[in-house]
Amino acid sequence: MFELYLTAVIFGLTISGILFLVSVGICIGFGLMRIVNMEQMVYYTFGAYMTYALVSSTGSFLLGLLCGTLVAAGSGYIVETQLLRRVYGKELMFTMVVTFSVFMIGIGLIQYIFGLSSKPVGMPFKVIVTIMGANVPLYRVIVFIISITVYFLIDMFLNKTIFGRAIRAGIENPDQVQGLGINIRRIFTITFVVASGLAGFGGVLNAPLVGVTPYMGFEMLLFAFITVILGGLGSLKGTLVSALIMGQVVSVGGTIYGPLAFVGPFIVMFIVILFRPTGLYGVKGRAFGFEEE
Amino acid sequence: MDKSFLSYIRGPIVMIALLVAARYLFPNKMTFLFEVSTFGIYIIANDILYGYMGMVSFGQPFYLGIGAYTSAIYLAHIGHNIFVAIGLAIIMGLLAGLLFGPAYIRLRGDYFALINAATCAMGLFMVEKILYPITNGDDGLWYRSRFHETPFLDLRKPADVFWFTMIVLFLVLVFYTWLDRSTLGAGLRGIKASESKMKFLGYDTFKLRWTGFTIMTILASLAGSLYAINYGFVNPSITEPARAAEVLVATLLGGGGVYGPIFGTLAFMGIKDFVSSFMDRWELAVGVLTIIVCFKFKGGVWGTLQTIGAKFKTGKAKPADAVSGENAG
Repeated sequence: MFELYLTAVIFGLTISGILFLVSVGICIGFGLMRIVNMEQMVYYTFGAYMTYALVSSTGSFLLGLLCGTLVAAGSGYIVETQLLRRVYGKELMFTMVVTFSVFMIGIGLIQYIFGLSSKPVGMPFKVIVTIMGANVPLYRVIVFIISITVYFLIDMFLNKTIFGRAIRAGIENPDQVQGLGINIRRIFTITFVVASGLAGFGGVLNAPLVGVTPYMGFEMLLFAFITVILGGLGSLKGTLVSALIMGQVVSVGGTIYGPLAFVGPFIVMFIVILFRPTGLYGVKGRAFGFEEE
Repeated sequence: MDKSFLSYIRGPIVMIALLVAARYLFPNKMTFLFEVSTFGIYIIANDILYGYMGMVSFGQPFYLGIGAYTSAIYLAHIGHNIFVAIGLAIIMGLLAGLLFGPAYIRLRGDYFALINAATCAMGLFMVEKILYPITNGDDGLWYRSRFHETPFLDLRKPADVFWFTMIVLFLVLVFYTWLDRSTLGAGLRGIKASESKMKFLGYDTFKLRWTGFTIMTILASLAGSLYAINYGFVNPSITEPARAAEVLVATLLGGGGVYGPIFGTLAFMGIKDFVSSFMDRWELAVGVLTIIVCFKFKGGVWGTLQTIGAKFKTGKAKPADAVSGENAG
């Protein structure tokens, strides 16, 4: 019994890692650009499909990892420079619908190229490790370690480099940053490309675990939104903590009672929005009322 | 503005006449037209939320599902009268609006959208798992054989259901025309423009939003019950959160105005129907189209039609929202 739950906890950590990687873009998009980034999951799907294509043709997972991340970042660059620049500063609904259309186009393209059926992706290595009696695939542990490393790298980047500080200042007040002579548009682009690359990276890592389907982005989108809301908008630390919570809700909850794996996150979000809408690390006073700040 | 009784029913009569004419011109498209009519009511409900109050919801299928499942459960387990089923669905919609309203409408835009998505997911979970003994889960409820004959229009026949839907759509359109010109409608639009100014003018914006939200739930629930009665069965796919996107896209395609939602539905369903007949990937087409509409035709289908109509009348183009006082966009 203990081993069962320990396995569930470790599986949950893997889910947390993936959730964190794909939520970074939505979190920063909310905070920095004030847009709702519904199309982040396109990059997640692209990354996963690139991995599928390269693993099934060349057998090399590392090549898939590299190409998936690059393709995701590249498509992020195209979308940001060609489309999203026109929607900054528009009302929320407009950004939602535009980004959601990009999401649908992405799904349509995937279906056009790869077809509708779901495809399995082989594990890069099949080693099983035993942690306190629980048998866990080594790959899952590595995924978690990688995402934690990514968090610390991003954190260091934001706090220690000039560029990162400009991004943080942009999250606080974009107009002031512009006034200081920093090109905020370029910051937007670079941040966006990094975030979409991370989403693609998350997709690559998740592909061997869940396989690939054209609609894999849909449920991930809802879960990623819940993660960001629970953590507090624009807070990277909050996103990590809430990803850790969400992973356990999905994994341990699903072990206790099957359907909780799907509905548990929504219950968490429901409670959080009703009673603490700013999330765990959010800024107070942003959630209520209807006027844009 | 012309406030006579005739002016309220003139537009809806023309709209219904067009739909009926289409039904006899293309007899094999009756199901399509029925779907346009019910989906149109559903989109009108969403337009009250988005077009009037500027609130976005990702959980519209939940409110549709309330109506569908209320009617279905009544017809499958309790009674046989179809009109009672529709009445019950409307009452449940009213209750849902009154109950969820106060908690939800005080939230800011994106939170409002997401809490609706959460509600929708939980609704799906309820009908799939918790209420399994009543709703039969994924298998759905089948109850067509339990229908009793109704006076005036026999709702067991698809042709009569179509006529009944036309009557309901007519009433909804008359109501919607009234809303467009009434103080209530102006108040709801005022919330979208600037809530603090509305408060300053002495309006209780909380009550206004609550009223708008409740009208939305009632209309969505009504649309759901029409679905349930026409098809004779419901299953949980009606409340799937993933379908919330269709509603937003159709609303945006239509643009504002009294007939925007109907034209949006017609455009959306038509494209879906047309595209899926030669390729089974309609997402690509709908996505590209939505982006074009977003950036090039800001008023949607109805707004563009109005602009063209104004060009015809005066010989020069006017922006869509200058043509009438309606909420274009």
